[in-house]
Amino acid sequence: MIFRAVEDADLIARTRKGEIEGFNLLVSRWEKRVFNYLLRLTGDPDDSMDLSQDVFLKAYQNIRKLDDTARFGPWLFRIAHNEAYSAFRKKRPETAPEENFFERQTAPGMAIDLSLAVRGALDRLSPEQREAVVLKVYEGFKFEEMADILECPVSTVKSRLYTALDLLKTELAPANARGGR
Amino acid sequence: MSTSDNPACERADLIRDYAFDELTPAERQSMEQHFASCSGCAAELDRLRLTTAALRVLPDVEVPRRIAFVSDKVLEPKQGWWRAFWNSGPRLGFASACVLAGGLIFASAHRQPEVRTIVQTASASQARIDAAVSKAVSEAVEKTHADDARLTQAALDAVDAKYEAKQQELLVNLQQSYEYMQKQTQRIVRSAYVQ
Repeated sequence: MIFRAVEDADLIARTRKGEIEGFNLLVSRWEKRVFNYLLRLTGDPDDSMDLSQDVFLKAYQNIRKLDDTARFGPWLFRIAHNEAYSAFRKKRPETAPEENFFERQTAPGMAIDLSLAVRGALDRLSPEQREAVVLKVYEGFKFEEMADILECPVSTVKSRLYTALDLLKTELAPANARGGR
Repeated sequence: MSTSDNPACERADLIRDYAFDELTPAERQSMEQHFASCSGCAAELDRLRLTTAALRVLPDVEVPRRIAFVSDKVLEPKQGWWRAFWNSGPRLGFASACVLAGGLIFASAHRQPEVRTIVQTASASQARIDAAVSKAVSEAVEKTHADDARLTQAALDAVDAKYEAKQQELLVNLQQSYEYMQKQTQRIVRSAYVQ
């Protein structure tokens, strides 16, 4: 992880000197994670792809504003978070993002295997709870990094995550039991 | 904060921090010792691990299209004014010219009397130089005229002398011719008398 951070810092330095290839290497290193993060928020591959491109373009244009190159990941995901919510506001100005943007049509009880059960359980979380789960469980960020990305206190991050995990535990218990049989 | 499945234990709230590796090494070691003695917390840890394991059955998907950038001025990273200033030759050159111009204006504004003195001095010196040059030119012209006149006079004198000599020579020739003619005439007259 430390080695990775050093490499990222080197690529950032090259990008700041105007080497586009340095940034392309950074993109190739992070694009899958950013795309999957956005996909888990939006549920739409096309939207996620477009948003990913916007995220990396913004990152490229603002790379000199990044103070701590060791924290490139949280900085990049913060851009992704902002882009996702900004896109939602453009798409559905009459509705609040936390209510509709991330909703998908997976009804309770329709899950036929564990992965469908997981999708359904995630869909029933609030957008904030789901994003906390995605950042922690799927992306492996620390609480402090999540607080940076979401621009909220660590206590809020922990509250959202642990509430979500309690809900998921209840939702997934039968599926886990079936999966374990 | 949400409720734990093991509310009876005072350390139940640390189970999730332990599961997500958010504890210090000392806290982590302490929790591991606690799990060995508290079956409720150990069971809660298992349930939490089962839930996160279930969540991870959803795999990451591949990016449909690779993202790559080409070098383009329009897309280039935004620079602060200070960095942009140092990275731009034309801007730096323009700024240098501005600084130079500013310096000259400042100097002219603060050293005006001295400049006037210098200008006046320069004007006075120029007048003297002009007078000296005029005088020198006049003298040179006069000298040239005098030389020309002297040379012309010498040439005229030479011509006159030559002319005089030529005239003298002609007169001598005429005299000799006259005397010859006179002798011839006398000789003819004398021979006629004889006949």
